Amino acid sequence: MQAWLRRLVSRIAEPFTRRRDESEFDCEVQQHLALLEERFRRQGMAPKEARYAARRQFGGITQLRERRRESRGFAALEIFVQDAFQSIRAVLKKPAFSATAVATIALGIGANVAVFSVIDAVVLRPLSAPAADRIVRFLNRYGEGVSDIANFPQFNLWRGQTDLFEYVSAHRLDPVNLTGENPEQIQVARVSSSFFPLFGAPVEIGRAFTDAEDKPGADRVAILSDGFWRRRFSGDARALGTTITLGSDPYRVIGVLSAGFDSEQFSPLPDAYVPFQIDPASMDGGSYEWVTARLKPSVTVALANARLSAVAEQYGRERSSLSPSTMFEVEPLRETLTYSTRRFAPLWLGAVSFVLLIACANMTNLMLVRGAGRKREIAICAATGASRGRLIRQLLTECIALAVAGGALGLALGLAGIRALVAMYSGGAALNIPRLGQAGSAVTLDWRLAGFAIVISSIAGVLSGILPALQGSSVDLSAASKGQPPGSNKSRWLLVVAQIGLASVLLSAAALMIRGYVGLRLIDPGFDSSHIETLEMSVSATRFEKTADLSQLIREGAERVRALPGVESASAACCIPLETVWQLPFIVEGRPVNGRFHAFAGWTFVSPDYFKTFKIPLLRGRGFTERDDASAPGVVIINEAMARRYWPGADPLEDRLIVGRGMRPEYDKDPVRQIVGIVGDIRDQFLNVSPRPAMYVPIAQLPDGINSVNLRLLPVAWFVRWRESSPPLKAIQSELQRASAGLPVARSRSMDQIKIRSLASAEFQALLVTVFSAAALLLAAVGVYGVVAHSVEQRSKELGIRLALGAEPDAIRNRVMLEALWMALAGIVVGFAGDAGLYRLHLIQFGPSDWNPMFFAAPAALGLATLLAAWIPALRATRVDPVAALRWE
Amino acid sequence: MGPARSEVLQGTLDLMVLKALDALGPLHGYGIARRLEQLSEEVLKLNEGTVYASLLRLGQNGWIRSEWGVSENKRKARFYSITKAGRKQLAREADNWRRISAVVARVLESA
Repeated sequence: MQAWLRRLVSRIAEPFTRRRDESEFDCEVQQHLALLEERFRRQGMAPKEARYAARRQFGGITQLRERRRESRGFAALEIFVQDAFQSIRAVLKKPAFSATAVATIALGIGANVAVFSVIDAVVLRPLSAPAADRIVRFLNRYGEGVSDIANFPQFNLWRGQTDLFEYVSAHRLDPVNLTGENPEQIQVARVSSSFFPLFGAPVEIGRAFTDAEDKPGADRVAILSDGFWRRRFSGDARALGTTITLGSDPYRVIGVLSAGFDSEQFSPLPDAYVPFQIDPASMDGGSYEWVTARLKPSVTVALANARLSAVAEQYGRERSSLSPSTMFEVEPLRETLTYSTRRFAPLWLGAVSFVLLIACANMTNLMLVRGAGRKREIAICAATGASRGRLIRQLLTECIALAVAGGALGLALGLAGIRALVAMYSGGAALNIPRLGQAGSAVTLDWRLAGFAIVISSIAGVLSGILPALQGSSVDLSAASKGQPPGSNKSRWLLVVAQIGLASVLLSAAALMIRGYVGLRLIDPGFDSSHIETLEMSVSATRFEKTADLSQLIREGAERVRALPGVESASAACCIPLETVWQLPFIVEGRPVNGRFHAFAGWTFVSPDYFKTFKIPLLRGRGFTERDDASAPGVVIINEAMARRYWPGADPLEDRLIVGRGMRPEYDKDPVRQIVGIVGDIRDQFLNVSPRPAMYVPIAQLPDGINSVNLRLLPVAWFVRWRESSPPLKAIQSELQRASAGLPVARSRSMDQIKIRSLASAEFQALLVTVFSAAALLLAAVGVYGVVAHSVEQRSKELGIRLALGAEPDAIRNRVMLEALWMALAGIVVGFAGDAGLYRLHLIQFGPSDWNPMFFAAPAALGLATLLAAWIPALRATRVDPVAALRWE
Repeated sequence: MGPARSEVLQGTLDLMVLKALDALGPLHGYGIARRLEQLSEEVLKLNEGTVYASLLRLGQNGWIRSEWGVSENKRKARFYSITKAGRKQLAREADNWRRISAVVARVLESA
């Protein structure tokens, strides 16, 4: 038999034969000893002496037995189980110690679980579509910028690349009015017929679109979401074949999608899906949609991109495109969806790994203290034949057992914590984090998260156990059995300094982020957001797509609302500041143009009272009036930034603007507009983005084409400034409905709410890092407490003698406190070195003035925490009873 | 503590035990210990217990086998004998050993 096979068989058989084997071995040893003893007796030794001599010559029987056991069977596993039981026994014997260790590790693991569960749900979780790893999003790249918004001609070009892609699909979400009985604004997804097979949408009843239904001019059909079907049709299958009216057009219901289907392409989820019906011959460069497709099985992203660059060149040549340098690209859809989260992931992971390291250091310190108290116990183990390896294993297993218990607690803690946190932000939508589900419901325990928790707990256990195991297992038998105190506390001191250093870096980061967030909140957006209520009204596919009707509606609606008590002013516009801004190119009439236009600027169409409602100051010229209508000459108001940038030392009010020319045919009908006024700058994109040049035009002067194009994309936004403590919402809504002959008024929100929501992401980041650094601070304080308390305990004899000899209690307390402060100081210096290092590595960024919060906040917090943590042991030091301290020995 | 000393010895001890079993036929642990004592002329002082560790290793490799018999003092004892694989291993190891010791001897003499 092969040797290894024999070994294997004997090892497998081992548990069954062990009992017999061990008794046989004992018998063999006894026999050996008897023979030796007999021999020594024959040599003339006394019987007792002979027995001792025999034992001496034979050597350690227990060690031999132990080694035998280890080399037989699957000893490693068996010893692990044994160690684990012993560890649990040891852990239960010291509940206070164990609870502290478990809580410490739970905090560290909890922070990691919280972050990882978000990364898991958002980044790691595969898309639920079939062959999800081959699904790609199309991108337009121009110079620096990348956008995944495409137009119809591009879609048509891409869907022609049949050797590269299959199921090339376009989609877009529009808010549309469901009219008829109980009108409401619903979310309608326009999708091409390939959307359903691409995302594997399961059809509950009825059927999906045919390709024929996706052609322009085909019958209007609709597929309902399960939720909408249950809400509007009580889940009745007879909904099939009925007609719903979207805007003013009737759509025949042909199917219902299964509950739970989420393509992850829409937020909020659509109520209904209608065919996009994109014209294959479309030349409409101003249209927009998102385009997704599946790569053919043998096609890679790199190959597709190489081929697409040729397509882009041809596209640029054939069309007089606005930006001839546009490149086409695809990227895996999962990357598109997870872009923002992946950007933040390193920061989060860095923060939580710091927390975990601090927790591990705490656990190490705890184990070291305990190890010191256990020297004698371990020495006895060693003396009775436990090898050093076995001792190390035993101590490590104990740490791992504690860490795993902490990990289980941390898993629950982290998951509950992050879900509560995400729920506070009504799911991921406000945070710009996709895929988190309703109120964070997508953050769940799956095998990846469980595996992560197990792995990281084990790492934490080993990491925190190594030092105590090495130190605890190297016993000097003679010294230990005499009960001498253990060696220096240097390693424990260093650990606490490292903890404070790590905590200091985290606190600095949190201070920076809080400062940044507060800075954002304090930024003056250029408009007064208080006391403004916003409401939305979709006029898509209604008669109000005609400019004359729309401006009539807005005039009447504003008048009615203004007449309400408590209302100061009312106006309407295309879009809500801090949510959407349109950009259009402009030409200053009469100036030489190098290219096709001078520049892009923000473009907002507004009703006359817009500036009054937002309290945007008029700096020069005049505002809009009701007389600036289609029959009057075209006018435009620009902001200060635009005036300063394009009319340095000149008067803009003498010039006229040509806006949007060449974008698409509708814009060519826009009149040449006289600049009649200059208004103050507002931050309408994001609060931390400086105001860009912006143009405002009166709604009443829009060509019909532009009006209908824009109103199909966004509902009209109403703004009402009110004086009283709360706006008369119900009355406003009913007045607006009356003015519009029954159009639904949706999504009533205050402008303050919108402003705060635009900060949600920054707030969430700051909050997350603050929570983590608070955890770090707490752990560091526990660490300081542990070291100081232990050192006081160790020196209680010395302190007792000092007190007995008449030392001032205050002096003793101050000495202990000073010791703790030194630790804090060393840690803070380490922390600053860490800050500087991270800065050099470009892992954190801050300006010169940002040193202020970092210099003050982190040291102040740490100093305070250290003093608090040292206070109790310091006080205890002054209360040492000299008699008891001396007797303790 | 003990381990360091026995680790140095391990290889040679196994070789000596194997050689003893090869030369003298089946022996029990005590017998092996006496044989080693006799051969090494008291130069090699060892804890006799380590012989059993060596026997365990040799047995696990299939180089020796054991059966129960009766010892000189009429008591039950386990007798070890060398197997065919053990003989092969012994030849190989002895060869090795001779080569190494020859080299070491040459090095020492030339120096």
